[in-house]
Amino acid sequence: MIVNSYAIVGLICLVIVGLALLAAALWHPGLRPLQVPAAWNNYRFGYAVYALIFLAFDMEMIFMYPWAVVFASIGFEAFADMFVFIAILSAGIAYAWGMGGLEWE
Amino acid sequence: MGVVLQMPVVLAALLGGALLTLLLERTLLQRTQTEPGPAAAVDYRHAVDPPNADRWLYPAGPVLALLGVALATVVIPFGPNLIGEDLGIGVFYFIVVVDFVVLGIALGGWGANTPDAVEACYRIVAQLVAYVIPLGLALVGAIMMAESLSTVAIVEAQTGLWYIVLQPIGFVLYLITGLMQAYRAPFLEPFAASIQQGVLHTSGGWQAMAWRMALSGVLFVVAAMGAVLFLGGWQGPLLPGPVWMLLKTYGLMALMLWLGTRVRLRSTAQMLALSWKVLIPVGLVNVLIVGMLILLGVGTA
Repeated sequence: MIVNSYAIVGLICLVIVGLALLAAALWHPGLRPLQVPAAWNNYRFGYAVYALIFLAFDMEMIFMYPWAVVFASIGFEAFADMFVFIAILSAGIAYAWGMGGLEWE
Repeated sequence: MGVVLQMPVVLAALLGGALLTLLLERTLLQRTQTEPGPAAAVDYRHAVDPPNADRWLYPAGPVLALLGVALATVVIPFGPNLIGEDLGIGVFYFIVVVDFVVLGIALGGWGANTPDAVEACYRIVAQLVAYVIPLGLALVGAIMMAESLSTVAIVEAQTGLWYIVLQPIGFVLYLITGLMQAYRAPFLEPFAASIQQGVLHTSGGWQAMAWRMALSGVLFVVAAMGAVLFLGGWQGPLLPGPVWMLLKTYGLMALMLWLGTRVRLRSTAQMLALSWKVLIPVGLVNVLIVGMLILLGVGTA
């Protein structure tokens, strides 16, 4: 059962990569010239604060999945726990918002 | 052993689903005359060789993107037994592998090293930061009621009543974040005409084909997952399961695309603001509302 789960995921990876390699090897159409300057030097990451807030919330969401699965069988206690968790996180987003962390650039 | 049969069926489902998606989207775009975004025409007949491209990242982009949607198709059920593989962590797995498309666009865009493609790389990463959390919060509601991450179990939990009725806020959240996740109007900034469709302009030949499949496929899997989570998947009277599933998938897709054309295009900055100032707070409230409903005994078996 578990082997089957890994097998189909692995097989699809193999087949897609294999098809791409095959296409790259066999498909040689004419070239469309592209005259553009290199661009790597012109950019910087201007949203470091956004990235940090994102990380915190992304992890929070991950914690919610196991909680969501067992929620109905535990009942009110689980609800109260998550309420406290969400309250703390909401305080976090309110703080970030108030400090201007949600402004682009 | 069975896997050898499952794999081509999954890939065929993706191929058919992506082709139908392209057909539907092109028809709709012709009627509404809006910016095509990821559905724009690509150049199959010419290869492109960007002068400063990264040798590995540039071709890896479209392959990773296509791989992401192919892996996502595995957990989409078209009937109680008509599914690539009912992975126990289905929905969670789905979220992870669909984001491979973002990774592919980011790598391909950065690797192409042209001003437009690198711009697309930045925009797509910002788009991910905007949509992942409200999308996840919309999904948490459905998982709480179904008490399972398995896509099959979630559909079976909706036998009596679809979750669109019990969780209308979650459904609306999914409509908006689904459009963000599929990069369709009004959230098509990474594929905007002003940067010549980003990675699409710097690709040709087999890469263009892979992008086409991946970008049509991502809308297909997003709409199909919406049908599974909120519209009861394959369930329905009279018609067989797979027909219902297809009807719901493409109905939801048409609704999303049409709604998307009714509002003006949003910039990445506007989308981030919308997501963090509106959608995430609403998503958190939705989780609490669904929790209260469950405590009151609504929607659980």
